[in-house]
Amino acid sequence: MRRTRTSIAVLAAASLALTACGREDSAAGGEAQSEEIASGEATGTIDVWAMGTEGEVLEDFSAAFEEANPEADVKVTAVPWESAYDKLSGAIASGETPDVSLVGTTWMGEFAQAGGLMPTPENLVDESAFFPGAWESTEVGGTSYGVPWYVETRVLYYRTDLAEQAGWDEAPQTWDELKTFAQDLESKAGVEYGLNLQPGQTGSWQTVMPFAWSNGATLTNEDATEYTIDSPEMAEALDYYTSYFDEELSPTRLLDPGELETGFAKGTYGAFISGPWHTGLVEDAGVTQEQYTVAPMPGPDGAPGSSFVGGGDLVVFNDSDNADNAWKYVQWLSEAETQQAFYDEVGDLPAVQEAWETGELAEDPQLQVFGQQLENAESPPAVPTWEQVAGSIDSIVEQASKGDLPGDEAASQMQSEASSIGTGL
Amino acid sequence: MSTTRTSPAPATTSPVSSPERGTPTRHVDPTRRQQAIAAWILALPFMALFLVFTAGPVLASLGMSFTDMRSTDMRNPFAVEFVGLQNYLDLLADPLFRKVTVNTALYLVLGVPLTMAVALATAVGLNRITRLKGFFRVSFYLPVVTSIVAVSVVWKFLLRDEGGLVNTVIGWFGVDGPGWLDSTTTALPTLVVMAVWRNFGTLMVIFLAALQTVPRELLEAAETDGASGWSRFRYITVPMLRPVLLFGAVITSIGYLQFFEEAFVMTKGGPLDATKSITFFTYDQWGYGNYAVGSAAAYLLFVAIMLLTWLQFRLLREKD
Repeated sequence: MRRTRTSIAVLAAASLALTACGREDSAAGGEAQSEEIASGEATGTIDVWAMGTEGEVLEDFSAAFEEANPEADVKVTAVPWESAYDKLSGAIASGETPDVSLVGTTWMGEFAQAGGLMPTPENLVDESAFFPGAWESTEVGGTSYGVPWYVETRVLYYRTDLAEQAGWDEAPQTWDELKTFAQDLESKAGVEYGLNLQPGQTGSWQTVMPFAWSNGATLTNEDATEYTIDSPEMAEALDYYTSYFDEELSPTRLLDPGELETGFAKGTYGAFISGPWHTGLVEDAGVTQEQYTVAPMPGPDGAPGSSFVGGGDLVVFNDSDNADNAWKYVQWLSEAETQQAFYDEVGDLPAVQEAWETGELAEDPQLQVFGQQLENAESPPAVPTWEQVAGSIDSIVEQASKGDLPGDEAASQMQSEASSIGTGL
Repeated sequence: MSTTRTSPAPATTSPVSSPERGTPTRHVDPTRRQQAIAAWILALPFMALFLVFTAGPVLASLGMSFTDMRSTDMRNPFAVEFVGLQNYLDLLADPLFRKVTVNTALYLVLGVPLTMAVALATAVGLNRITRLKGFFRVSFYLPVVTSIVAVSVVWKFLLRDEGGLVNTVIGWFGVDGPGWLDSTTTALPTLVVMAVWRNFGTLMVIFLAALQTVPRELLEAAETDGASGWSRFRYITVPMLRPVLLFGAVITSIGYLQFFEEAFVMTKGGPLDATKSITFFTYDQWGYGNYAVGSAAAYLLFVAIMLLTWLQFRLLREKD
């Protein structure tokens, strides 16, 4: 996108009030990675923003870092997820950022493009130590702007006891098997809905894309400059996805919070697709560990299926006063042992693969399924307009799920809306 | 800063200078002057806040609506390009914006008459009864002060497809109720009903106050002349209430044109955007970082509200 420098008096006046110091160029777009960070111990105060549980425990958790770096002082501010986006974008605009923050993976494109994030230093971490899908979430226009911290991915949950009644003693491996599995759960085990899938609305793309990615569909071209949503693979995946609604294997109504878990416990829903947080939720709803299990996403033809990888990245801001030391802190959080310790503390799945090789993560069979799935998981493109494109995909999925839009038309409609929104790069 | 005090210029304050010119004494009252200065000083903090936090952003948003500003331009506002009316033209051509405009119009035409009618009917009723007056007033006003989030939880439960109270009750009469909030045809009217229930209390209180100013003698005189209850209401009460009804119509219309909370909490604008309003659309655009487009949509709504309010004033005032 080519832009001439035009300024408007009103806008300029307003933005001068907002912007402490205006940077001339936006940082995104093929810029080289940051300089290497200096060696030695970290010093000074490192201001950190973190959301949710991470925000609550991180300060105490960082005591180990402060012990190893006596000159450094980690100060954590807990920010609620609900206001995090506004707070971060406001901070970037005004230049009043902390040094480090947790950032939702789908916000990376926008914040990097706004010039708020510092490119990841070259010698900071080994890129190959992370799950590839997670690392991709840090890359905007070919440059990495942070380090993956924790990850989540979607897998198939199902009731093993009901599956056995339906004649299944192992998880379905292909799309055809998954369909038969859902049908059998209804006809032989008496569940009301064989496989609950999200019928559109906010975030449904996260359930749809695993099928599309498994089928070879893509969202953008290699360097994320153009959307490539409209493809036969996408159309096929959408037709497959919506067939579950047509055949009443999945309810077309969006469930209320808690309805899925209690329904899973009662045997209303035989299976569903979701992330790691659901293990705790279904067990709270009264499903025992013997009654259910998780399995990797089946691919269309027996090859392992792909899934969605989300989670949080750690970034250092361009306006950080203590960037070098901030990166050292990020480096520490990315060490396999730190990641394992953090898992023990809050249960976040580590983004570093080595952290999965020992300890509870290596022994728990359920967690191993997530680890296995993470090797086959993709992230959405880190482009500034992704949230908006995702929103339009969600509403087209909703339309298709309600049965008045065939897959190929849905795919071309997604493409045309995404193209008119543009990638923003 | 200077420490010397400047004394007021004598020519303007001294009444002595006037007679010298031979003009009739034009006396400037010093106390009035001081009052004016004091007034300005007292108003200044508010005005400063108003300029910075209200007028400023409103004008900035107007300026923004003629540019291509996105959230990613926050740190680099000088790269923002002037695009003239492009955002407005794009909006008018956008099928989603057209849909939300139609939705907003539906909210208006369904919601305003219904709210006005319910509020007036309850006000008239409450004006008549003598027992438990306070109890009823409080009951009808209660939804207004209740949290929308708390209320929506209850309503969602009542309106559920299976096992919801509403469908259970109409089921007794052999009617199979739909998922009220899950269908594109019923979701919007259902939200209107809920909004009416939630909001008529404010208008009711205003109407009730106005009803009590209608002179009793007038109504009694009409009664002695043999006017029926309906005629008295139609030819005495309603004309006396005209200014209040106009006020009610204007604020209710503005409220429905900005319809947001109910849709946001109950349906998230769905199903299939059936309950999305213009305000909801604007909210989405800001969330997506499309500051310019969001501003343009907000200004289109502003113009619509201005026009409608002007129209209502003209139509309802005519007979005065």
